[in-house]
Amino acid sequence: MTRPEVRAEPRRRRFAPWVALTVLVGLLAFVAVLATRDPGSGVSADSPLLGEPAPLIEGSTVDGQPFSLADETGRWVIVNFFATWCVPCRQEHPELVAFTNRQAAEGGDAEVVSVVFDDQPDEVRAFFAEEGGDWPAVTDPDGRIALEYGVAGIPESYLVDPNGFVVSKIVGGITSDGLEQLLARARAGDQGGA
Amino acid sequence: MTPVRRWLPWIAVAVVVAAALGVGVVGERGPSSLQDRADALAAEVRCPTCRSESALESAAASARALRAEIARRLEAGEGDGEIRAYLVSRYGQEILLTPEATGLSSLVWILPVAGLVGALVGLGFVFRRWRATGDGVATDEDRELVAAARRGEPDHTGAAGAEVES
Repeated sequence: MTRPEVRAEPRRRRFAPWVALTVLVGLLAFVAVLATRDPGSGVSADSPLLGEPAPLIEGSTVDGQPFSLADETGRWVIVNFFATWCVPCRQEHPELVAFTNRQAAEGGDAEVVSVVFDDQPDEVRAFFAEEGGDWPAVTDPDGRIALEYGVAGIPESYLVDPNGFVVSKIVGGITSDGLEQLLARARAGDQGGA
Repeated sequence: MTPVRRWLPWIAVAVVVAAALGVGVVGERGPSSLQDRADALAAEVRCPTCRSESALESAAASARALRAEIARRLEAGEGDGEIRAYLVSRYGQEILLTPEATGLSSLVWILPVAGLVGALVGLGFVFRRWRATGDGVATDEDRELVAAARRGEPDHTGAAGAEVES
């Protein structure tokens, strides 16, 4: 007499609802982070240029004055890529004005250099006349300066130390306080957002 | 079936695969003129500011600058690899639309091949098992079962084919 064959019932584990719930929670958290982030706060970003000599910036400003980044050796320089048609750039401009004013008032060793990204010098001159700011705005008619810095969007800024090395890259708008904190960290040998 | 005839389809498959791989590796002759080389390189990299297009297709200012830089460097005598390395030194690996076959990026190339090899090996094992179990040769027990069924004896195994009493 043969024994009847007993088939083990496959245990159906219900993984799908848990996986879906996990994905949903993750998405919600991601959306919450994006929605609550201050749009004016720059984010430190990785760059192959960090720790490397800053690419040369040589040319003329929108006012027709010659400019060379090499002449700024010995000072901290914020190289800021911007355009007048870029809304976040316009939003961060007053912060840059406040930062440069504070540096001038306190005899600081940091300055701003703007690089015009795909914009007309006339537009930039009018913008500075209207919004303030007396730092150099260097033209980049063929986009080579932006290419040398690996700019992937504006506003984008690079902090160059007194020895001419890139120590930080900031993607997005920056604030005066954020820049001060960034400088303090950079002086202490750290890097961070602005 | 002789061993040669049995292996003939596999040999044919191997020849076709080898030929396809050979064509893929050798490919067409590389672009000849500087403009062709510049276009080919620009097609390999992203538009820096738009991401969804290659630098060759994009009309963005950053893509125009990138194309001009590629052309300038080619005219200066730089090789394709040097130009790619320059772009990576500025934008990082993400500027390349085609991942490099070095370092971590090489996994993009290795994993599909490893998966294909694994799948083929698995299929081979399955086919061998099918061949081992499905040879269709009747055993003495099978013949006895058939003979018993013909004699009209009740099936003592409990399997299908037992007489049904009406």
